[in-house]
Amino acid sequence: MPERLANRLKERRAELGLTQAELAERVGVTRKTVNTVENGVFTPSATLAIKLARALEMTVEQLFWIES
Amino acid sequence: MSSYLIGLLVGIGAGLVVLAVIKFRTRNQSMSVAEQAEFLSKRRARMLPALAVIFLAQQASYFSTAAIATPRPVDTVKISAWLVLSIVLLAALATKGFWAHSREVRNLIDDENTRANRNHAMQSGFLFAMGAGVCVYVVTMFTPVTAREAVHVMMSAGIATALIQWGFLERRAYRDA
Repeated sequence: MPERLANRLKERRAELGLTQAELAERVGVTRKTVNTVENGVFTPSATLAIKLARALEMTVEQLFWIES
Repeated sequence: MSSYLIGLLVGIGAGLVVLAVIKFRTRNQSMSVAEQAEFLSKRRARMLPALAVIFLAQQASYFSTAAIATPRPVDTVKISAWLVLSIVLLAALATKGFWAHSREVRNLIDDENTRANRNHAMQSGFLFAMGAGVCVYVVTMFTPVTAREAVHVMMSAGIATALIQWGFLERRAYRDA
């Protein structure tokens, strides 16, 4: 079975009371990119993963993990 | 002046008028950079398949003209317009597009996910163009094909595939919202 990058972006974003658009603005991407990362459609680069983790006040490892 | 040159000039002129209208209209000026990027990105997702259809429809005028022994000036203008549209679409595929908008908006529109989608679409376009090349090569074994016809087929296959694929990926990215 192929490996997949899972994340808790949606849960953490909801905890902080942020919308996709607000998170996207903090990170400097469009809402579409946040949406695709949340849904697992798009695997972000290391740079974007670090920016997302920073914006959501977590480490990258807390935010993303590999599922097989 | 040849009809081809007139067609090229008309196409370039029309493109410049469209750019000027986009640049100077006030519709998006009250929006923030993020809102403008969102608006334009969604519009692009809707427009890409439509552009592919328009682009392919222009092929019909070329191949119907090819059968005529002495094409009318209007036919040569149409063929030149196809060339202009091809160059504009190639430039849009290869760059961030939205040339009439500010650098901030253009950078935001061309974010990581968009670049990934665009690269994927360009890959598909290249493969389809090469596939069309192979098909044209096989066809030449049975019937003569002019260089211009071969170029038309290969460019159409490549550009239209890239546009459709990019549009599909962009729409899917929004659909998951």
